[in-house]
Amino acid sequence: MSESALAETRPINIRDVERFIYREARMLDEGRFRDWLALWREDGIYWVPVKHGDADPARDVSIIYDDYLRLEQRVDRLLSGSVLAVQGTMHMRRVVSNIEITESTSGGTVAESNFVLGVSRSAEQQLWIGRSIYTLEADGANMRMIRKKVLLINSEHEMPLLQFLI
Amino acid sequence: MMAADAAGRIVDLVREDRVHGRLYRSEEVFKRELANIWYKVWVYVGHESEVPNAGDFVRRQIGLQPVIMVRDDDGGINVFYNRCRHRANLVCLAERGNAPIFVCPYHGWSYANSGELLAPTFEEGYAPERSMEEFSLTPLARVDSYRGLVFASVAVDGISLAEHLGPVAEFIDLFMDLSPDGRISLAAGSQKLKYAGNWKYMPENSMEGDYHGPFIHKIAFDLHARRTGLDVSSLHENEVPDVIRSLPGGHMVEDYRGAPLPPRKGEPSPARKAYAESMRQRYGETKAKTLLGTIAPLVYVFPNLIYVMTHLRVVQPVSPGQTYTYYYPVMLEGAPDEVNEGRLRDHEFMMGPAGFISPDDIEIMERNHHAMNATGDDWLFIGRGLHRERAMPDGGRSGMTMDETHLRGFWRHYAQLMDAPDV
Repeated sequence: MSESALAETRPINIRDVERFIYREARMLDEGRFRDWLALWREDGIYWVPVKHGDADPARDVSIIYDDYLRLEQRVDRLLSGSVLAVQGTMHMRRVVSNIEITESTSGGTVAESNFVLGVSRSAEQQLWIGRSIYTLEADGANMRMIRKKVLLINSEHEMPLLQFLI
Repeated sequence: MMAADAAGRIVDLVREDRVHGRLYRSEEVFKRELANIWYKVWVYVGHESEVPNAGDFVRRQIGLQPVIMVRDDDGGINVFYNRCRHRANLVCLAERGNAPIFVCPYHGWSYANSGELLAPTFEEGYAPERSMEEFSLTPLARVDSYRGLVFASVAVDGISLAEHLGPVAEFIDLFMDLSPDGRISLAAGSQKLKYAGNWKYMPENSMEGDYHGPFIHKIAFDLHARRTGLDVSSLHENEVPDVIRSLPGGHMVEDYRGAPLPPRKGEPSPARKAYAESMRQRYGETKAKTLLGTIAPLVYVFPNLIYVMTHLRVVQPVSPGQTYTYYYPVMLEGAPDEVNEGRLRDHEFMMGPAGFISPDDIEIMERNHHAMNATGDDWLFIGRGLHRERAMPDGGRSGMTMDETHLRGFWRHYAQLMDAPDV
């Protein structure tokens, strides 16, 4: 077996997952969206449902349901400077915790984590809280996202604008 | 006599081409709006597809008053105040669901989905001759529907729903008829948003996208054109007569039948072809061509219902400076699943908290609200196209693509309701 094939099939351990999720969090906090895009496999799905429980993206409206093309557009738009809701001084930091691997199959490794995200753009500081459910695959020494589903604790209630990446 | 309260004469705050900032900020004006608008006229509550089966219910609000819309065992749709007749607790807390009966959690009084009181608890404590029948859930004074859209009115007296809708019904038909069965479904649920601003920004902003679009939505239009090959920017470059319509009753319409879309690039999918074919079969060649070849009209049904592109939007006032809004994607009964799934994806692209279009509008409304604290000259100017607007046979007026004719119509109706005498 070649060295690269070995790397691809290398089992993903919890330290790998933690490193990946912390790095992703820093990219999102610091607006490094193109670097973040490179973490995705090109058939990836980025999903923020409205419904907790059994949501079906084909029948239930989502807050976000992006394929890779739309994800690129989302990033293009956010970086365009013309998104009104992110103009002005805006900073954000997220704390990620409770990281666990919940499933490992040939289709990828499922890892879950909680986050608390603070966003400051005015005197009113916003708090966003939720759980991220990743499907990851090994990609050489790194990992790639096949899927990221984010369950926001306030997704079923009236919420302010979500004009950043979560 | 005119309503005598601290809000004063509203007609003094609404001129032919201007409205006063106080109408967006004042607590007194907001209170008068509740009494003279939200608790007088027909208000949209929900769509029958949200309660398909007996016992299905949704919680809603009319103005600040909590209500439930429920399908009873006989298949009828009722709208009740969400308030126990005993000592006023919410009889329904869940936002939606199915329940055989409603049980008040406070003292256990229970009600049928027809509203009837089934039993007070510890009944022996009430005199045998004391009839409990009067304690049914209180229905809204008037409930009626149009093509599955359920409306209710707090006021006992008033014009019928058909009179209230008037010529706007024809425009409701046009977006409903995007379904080959002539029926829509709101079963996909809704996205929910809140913003720090007045409720009236929402109808005003929703219905004038052609004027603000090139400024605040340009990046989204460009991305949309890249993805779908459908370029909507040309709509803004060539103004067309009679796109903008004010209708009697404060309703507003953007009617694009005179502004056909450029054809989509590329071959349509088998599902889209099947959809187009079923539309031709149902409506005939000419009408199907109009329905499929133009943007369906944008429709505002006074005071709280809006149809835009992909969805029904509901406006819910909270206070002068706080508003909730709900985006319900409209699914087309009888259309292939792929077409409806495509509508969902288009909807999420544009709308909701994380969309590429509506968030720019929401941000604008919040900035509007902030700017309106600057009161050196407290008037907003809505005069575009005043010199060229035309009276229409339906009693409304029309203007060109970016004119503010419809906003003037909204405000004329608003002032009339707000200054109506107390009965």
